[in-house]
Amino acid sequence: MEPAVLLDFLAASLRIATPLIFAALGGILCERSGTFAVGLEGQMLAGAFLGVVVTHSASNAGVGLAASALAGMAMALVVAIATTRFHTEHMVTGIAANILALGLTSFLVRMITGGRDGGAAIRVPLLEVWSVPGLSALPWVGPLLFRQPPLTYLAFALIVPLALFLFRSRAGLTLRAVGENPLAAFAAGADPTRVRIAAIVGGGALAGLGGAVLSLQQVGTFTDGMTSGRGYLALAAIIVGRWMPGGSVLACLLFGAAEALSLRVQAFSLPVSSYVIQMTPYLAALAILAGLGRGARMPAAVGQPFHQP
Amino acid sequence: MSTPASSTRAAWCLPDLLVAARRAGALWRAAASVGMAFLLTAMLILLAGKNPLTAYYHLLTGALGGWDRVVVGLNKTTPYLLCAVGIALCFRGRVINIGAEGQLALGGAAASAVALFATGLPAWLLLPLALAAGAAGGAAWAGLAATIRVTRGVHEVLVTLLLNFVALLLVAELLHGRMGEEGAGFPQSPLFDAAAWLPKLVPGTDLHLGIAIAVAAALGANHLLWRTTLGFRWRVVGASLPAARYAGVSHGRAVFGLMGTAGALAGLAGAIECLGVHYRLIEGFSAGFGFNAVAIALMGALNPLYVLPSALFFGFLETGALAMQRQVGVPSSLVLVIQGLTMIFVLCGIGRSSRDRT
Repeated sequence: MEPAVLLDFLAASLRIATPLIFAALGGILCERSGTFAVGLEGQMLAGAFLGVVVTHSASNAGVGLAASALAGMAMALVVAIATTRFHTEHMVTGIAANILALGLTSFLVRMITGGRDGGAAIRVPLLEVWSVPGLSALPWVGPLLFRQPPLTYLAFALIVPLALFLFRSRAGLTLRAVGENPLAAFAAGADPTRVRIAAIVGGGALAGLGGAVLSLQQVGTFTDGMTSGRGYLALAAIIVGRWMPGGSVLACLLFGAAEALSLRVQAFSLPVSSYVIQMTPYLAALAILAGLGRGARMPAAVGQPFHQP
Repeated sequence: MSTPASSTRAAWCLPDLLVAARRAGALWRAAASVGMAFLLTAMLILLAGKNPLTAYYHLLTGALGGWDRVVVGLNKTTPYLLCAVGIALCFRGRVINIGAEGQLALGGAAASAVALFATGLPAWLLLPLALAAGAAGGAAWAGLAATIRVTRGVHEVLVTLLLNFVALLLVAELLHGRMGEEGAGFPQSPLFDAAAWLPKLVPGTDLHLGIAIAVAAALGANHLLWRTTLGFRWRVVGASLPAARYAGVSHGRAVFGLMGTAGALAGLAGAIECLGVHYRLIEGFSAGFGFNAVAIALMGALNPLYVLPSALFFGFLETGALAMQRQVGVPSSLVLVIQGLTMIFVLCGIGRSSRDRT
């Protein structure tokens, strides 16, 4: 493989993985507190939408990014209230929220643009690439790792703080306790309902930023259903990464590489079709899940309602 | 007589309304959820500067104002009904199957393969064969999910969800390989021979046999669930796993039975879509069916008989929404808003009731 081709392939893998990483990290927060993160797709979509709209009207990408996070939080709040206060089935609630987000965003974008086909009318400039002085001049590694748009740096910068929060802080301990045994956490003085709402909504903020990666950093506009299953893929990455931030990010990179490869099948003249390669992330996730089998350590109380005694 | 204060509270606190509706049963719960969804959506229509009453009037006439509209609605209802009945059975046995989309896609592909490659057979043989292949294709895909679930203990939601994506890519792969039409601008198979076209239920209209098959399936599933030993076993598994174990009912076999049945129904739906609507296999023809069917099954209180009106509602909602978009200029994506909201409200109603019971 030519070095330049390889570099291009790695850069594409990284680009495709970035939105997944945000969503997966947000989903870990949600699932560690005991709620299936099926609503990631809708939270990403809401983030992608509001990010574009606010960036466009405020002419300020920073405000737009904040709006993305808020939109993700708002969609997450729907899931949080339904699952904690009304004890709804988590998976189906997430799917319902995703359908709602798809409908709302595609309705609102048409309303704003006044057109029936919506979308393309709102264009925003893409987030600019930040070159790290010095490091970006390094051969090969420089352009790949140190010449990236801001959200890519942020995605990787979040991994360690999130891991520290979950596994080294008191609040993280409480959050994980609620996800393992909410009754025990309640007995120890925590309020599982509040912890879960906070974790779901916090995760929604990250997923919303994941949506912003798509719309503000990669495309520059909003199109209907532009997340196209990435939320579900992030969900798979969480499981493959065994609910650990580092592991899930690796899974996201693996998925990114698989998709980047599928886009380059022809160029590499591989003997398989691009569809088969596109299947690999899903098949890999299934194979890993089946391999782990019953040994997979999902937080014990995921999907379990908490009834206050 | 209720005091004015309490009636105001009932009207303004939507959750309380749901709880009240829940006490009145599944029908009222569904009605209240739909009503609340339409109410919230009306606010969106107002926000768009349109009159919700006009919009809903066109939604109604667009769905029911004329025989041709009713036909479109009934045809749209067919795959929803088949998928939702299967999902309702699964949920009764507490098997959360959200893989109807993939099962439908594979069923459509299997039926299309028969229609394309078993040419020369007479229609009376070819059609049942193609439909059976569709059911078998869906059942096989669901069986794969059940196998992973039962032998490896992976949660069925994740398995069915991931298999959905694989199924869609598999169909795309088929359409780019042996089953694709050469020179077509779109990934699709060649047109089937007329012998493989699903006959019309009412000659001279577009209404095909599908709706009759779907209603028969719903009635059959209702009988199976409430009147047979197998259905009883499934319900026991869903109601209490320890009780099922004590009674010697195998959980694994129930999962295989439920998934297989739901997969066969979804596969049949896929076959009917290909043989009755498109007359060919098209990439992405199954998009969204599976998730909507979950909503329909829930709104139908997981009862195959109640699923029938619920599926009709969704089918006609979609036809009406297209008319609403044409007449009033309100985007038809509002249907998704109504569907999503209805689903959430129904879930909230059910969730509360399960808590009240414990």
